[in-house]
Amino acid sequence: MAISRRSFLVVSLCATAQQLFAQLQGIATRDVKPQAKPAPSGRPFNAHFTDVAKEAGLHMPVIYGGVDSKKYIMEANGCGCAFIDYDNDGWIDIFLLSGTRLESDPPEATNRLYKNNRDGTFTDVTEKAGLHAVGWANGVCVADYNNDGFDDIFCTYFGQNRLYRNNGDGTFTDVTKQAGLWEEGPARWGAGCAFFDYNRDGHLDLFVSNYIRFSFEHAPAPGENSTCNWKGIPVNCGPRGLPTGRHSLYRNNGDGTFTDVTKQAGIAGATESYGMTVVTADFDEDGWPDIFVACDSTPSLLFMNNHDGTFREEGVMRGVALSDDGMEQAGMGVGIGDYNLDGHLDLFKTHFIGDTSGFYRNDGKGNFDEVTRLAKVGVETRFTSWGAGMVDLDNDGYPDVLFVTGSVYPEVEHKLPQYPYKTPRVLFRNLGNNTFEELETQAGDGITTPHSSRGCAFGDFDNDGDLDVLIVNMNEPPSLLRNDMKVKQNWLKIKLEGVKSNRSAIGARVLVRYGGKVQAQAVLSQSSYYSCNDSRLHFGLGGSSMAEVEVFWPSGLHEQFKKVSVNQLITVRETLGIVANKGWSRS
Amino acid sequence: MMFVFTWKKFSGVLALFTALSPMFAQTASDRVSAITSALSSGEFDKALQLLEPALQSSPKNPQLWMLRGLAYSGKGKQKAALASYQNALKIAPDYLPALEGAAQLEYDAGSPLAIPLLQHVLRLSPNDSTSHAMLAVLAYKKRDCATAVQHFAQSGSLLDSQPGALQEYGGCLMELRQTEKAIPVFQKILASHPEDSRARRSLAAVQLAAEQPEAALATLQPLLAVSDPDVSAMQLAAAAYEANKDTPNAVKVLHDAIVKEPRNVALYVDFANLAMTHQSFQAGIELMNAGLNLEPKSADLHLARGVLYVQMADYERAESDFEKAEQLDPLQDLSAAAQSMIAEEQNQNDPDRALSTVRSKLAKKPTDAFLWYLQAAILSQKAPEPDSAEFRQAVQSAKKAIALQPALSAAHNVLGKLYLQAGENALAIKECHLALQGNPNDQTALYHLIVALRKTNDQEEIPDLLKRLAKARQDATKEEAERNRYKLVVSSANQ
Repeated sequence: MAISRRSFLVVSLCATAQQLFAQLQGIATRDVKPQAKPAPSGRPFNAHFTDVAKEAGLHMPVIYGGVDSKKYIMEANGCGCAFIDYDNDGWIDIFLLSGTRLESDPPEATNRLYKNNRDGTFTDVTEKAGLHAVGWANGVCVADYNNDGFDDIFCTYFGQNRLYRNNGDGTFTDVTKQAGLWEEGPARWGAGCAFFDYNRDGHLDLFVSNYIRFSFEHAPAPGENSTCNWKGIPVNCGPRGLPTGRHSLYRNNGDGTFTDVTKQAGIAGATESYGMTVVTADFDEDGWPDIFVACDSTPSLLFMNNHDGTFREEGVMRGVALSDDGMEQAGMGVGIGDYNLDGHLDLFKTHFIGDTSGFYRNDGKGNFDEVTRLAKVGVETRFTSWGAGMVDLDNDGYPDVLFVTGSVYPEVEHKLPQYPYKTPRVLFRNLGNNTFEELETQAGDGITTPHSSRGCAFGDFDNDGDLDVLIVNMNEPPSLLRNDMKVKQNWLKIKLEGVKSNRSAIGARVLVRYGGKVQAQAVLSQSSYYSCNDSRLHFGLGGSSMAEVEVFWPSGLHEQFKKVSVNQLITVRETLGIVANKGWSRS
Repeated sequence: MMFVFTWKKFSGVLALFTALSPMFAQTASDRVSAITSALSSGEFDKALQLLEPALQSSPKNPQLWMLRGLAYSGKGKQKAALASYQNALKIAPDYLPALEGAAQLEYDAGSPLAIPLLQHVLRLSPNDSTSHAMLAVLAYKKRDCATAVQHFAQSGSLLDSQPGALQEYGGCLMELRQTEKAIPVFQKILASHPEDSRARRSLAAVQLAAEQPEAALATLQPLLAVSDPDVSAMQLAAAAYEANKDTPNAVKVLHDAIVKEPRNVALYVDFANLAMTHQSFQAGIELMNAGLNLEPKSADLHLARGVLYVQMADYERAESDFEKAEQLDPLQDLSAAAQSMIAEEQNQNDPDRALSTVRSKLAKKPTDAFLWYLQAAILSQKAPEPDSAEFRQAVQSAKKAIALQPALSAAHNVLGKLYLQAGENALAIKECHLALQGNPNDQTALYHLIVALRKTNDQEEIPDLLKRLAKARQDATKEEAERNRYKLVVSSANQ
């Protein structure tokens, strides 16, 4: 910007004053100002969240790096979690990732699988299931990659990613090597991951985002350079200033093995991003799944499917890569849903403190408009935000937004108390007019109690017809937010089983029509932050007593089911229609 | 600037004219010879005497009118001279000697009427370096650097003997950011006055602007090698060292300069800038404190320290410094803008309070473009509906900022964004282009332009814009990496 008249130096050809003023302008432009909060609507909110983790038996902390300070970014980003029905009993179980500590591995540092006891409690079955694993785990994605009817687990790590095959008997086997997913060479920082069928052959392929190229030996120490300071306080460095990771696409060969097709699929060219959460869905509704990667401090990526085994990256042009001012943002978590009930999948992306989250409205052709402020979610910039969901929490038929938060710098609050390490969850209620209202206290202690949270997953663990939330808290036990509805509203859960399509029906898009509305959802293997939701799609229906269901299967098949009764789970098997549920079916 | 059409040229044209024109009989030719001879020997009265009967017998002879112009010009009677040339041109509009004579007189008088005459000359004689030089100087006077540079470039060696014109040429090249082309121009200036330290500093500054810090340091070397170096040269050298990624030497030279002139505020502000660049805010604050001990009434030092406090989120101290700066120097604009920005920062959840601060500052400084821009930006951040009064006020504020300072890219960006929100894509595209004129690497303008073009289905330009945006991002990242390579600590201020 030319501001020569502002120069307050007499003559300085090095234009010091202008540079100084340019920095000053940064105050206004780098830190995004929140928009003013509108007057409260005064409308009651039906959902109420209580953290029942302790009562449910989720006692063990999620170990992740230092407690009071973090030397490396490795310790700061945390990990995800999953709702997974690993034993197909119709009651979703819990899978929690874990990190470790720099100095040594504490005994409690392991990923954990908790079996749902169907009474509100869980049993730790990690050892029995063969899932004990220590390391710096990051992301998890869940799907039935070998189409055997049981959901498998893929975990990303700093170091070796791991594929666990579900043996169908309550145990898992680490098949990373035999599946061809073993990485030789220097440790990579696997971040987000997603199973999806990019070539529509009925076998789930795998996309893995990578965060940074990192080594403890070469990583700068806190305060060592300017990327290692925040508000003048030395903190862990990065990601800025550190080399970017490279993302990978693995094609499922249909025989339990995968082939790295990163280069031939056109993914390898995207080398300048710090990849985080991955979401795959058919954003342009052409029947082929696309890939969205939330990226930290670099433009987020949207790989559009070319229908021939290749992708083209079009994030900037399609309006999801940058802020509405064309600036990079710290993309962490992603929520997918249809907030404005137009039948198209919109995107919600969480960011760092001092920035609003990003809300992107899809026109159905995969072009997005940034509507953060129009939707009135630009009121919140106080927290570093992570896992997110665009889900109907009060079953009124309008998807709400919930995201979890937490600082990455525990050492800062000692000097600057206004920047605490533990911060509350943020809930935006959908007002039904394409705008949202932030609810700070009306939704219960589960929302207001501060934690330093990272991943979260949405699902109905107690099968009572509403969505609960599982949350990873850094160096604390997880939160399990039980949703207790004050007033019952109608709902419908849909479980899809592919036949020609992949068994998990990952990539299927579902439209549900109710009370003159239409809402789109998709079956995903990862969203939120490095996490995986309940694979049963949950639709709040408000007062509607009947719904119509349309399924767009990954195979290309389009099926429609009219007059579906509400307040039930339906299982739809491709070509066979609505079939009997496995295990639990109705509250 | 002195530029003249030479007599030799006139006589040459005269000879040619005489030889080619059959209507000139021997007698007429003899008469002209006598007149030119008188003119050559400076006998202007005699020339006029000879011209009178000649013109009576040949009133339609442009050559005679031109000679009359020359004679009057020689006598210092410019008005009569100009009238004579004009008569010649009425008879023969393309008569080059008369055109040149008239142009010379108008140019000497500083009249814009010289321009069409010189352009006429160039149509007849495109490589005429004198006409190019004159047109360059006239364009420079009108601050039309784009035209000036074109003509200076075609003035050839004429400029070599005109250091003033070279300065203008170089200044224009710098204004047009053609820094590499400016270097040889400033080298010529220095070559003609090798002992002139100002010329040396200017060349170094231009080399610095052209991202040639090593060359700048070499240029400055004679000024730095003396026992008592000039502080201005040291200040430039510090900037050159920093640009050359040699921050330790930049700090050292700046420190030495401060020791030499401890009351030179500009040096402290330069150090504040270094501290900002390397996010060494505390070190910067320490040195500003030292400067303020010596110069407690320096608005610049308070302002610089305030900026550093902002970076450390110490808004109370920052605000206090900005207030003090405004008290000390109410005429400088920065403090009001800074205070408004602090208000914006501190009232994150209350943009109306921030707006109120900006408005109170605007009441005192209604012609401050930046404050109008801030008002537009704060209103825009409130995301008003396009048909609301606030939206209209945001648009008006941005327009006002642009009217006051057309090159304020940020205001173009806000206006472009507002137009995008309102679905006025064509207007948004226009504002983006205007913002990009000021800064071709403006990421916001590039992005808004891509979005606006996508919405208008005019996608031809998009691939190139995507490349430009990626390049701008890469450059910004590179720049950030450069800033991050060094950190100043408090002790370094005392090295």
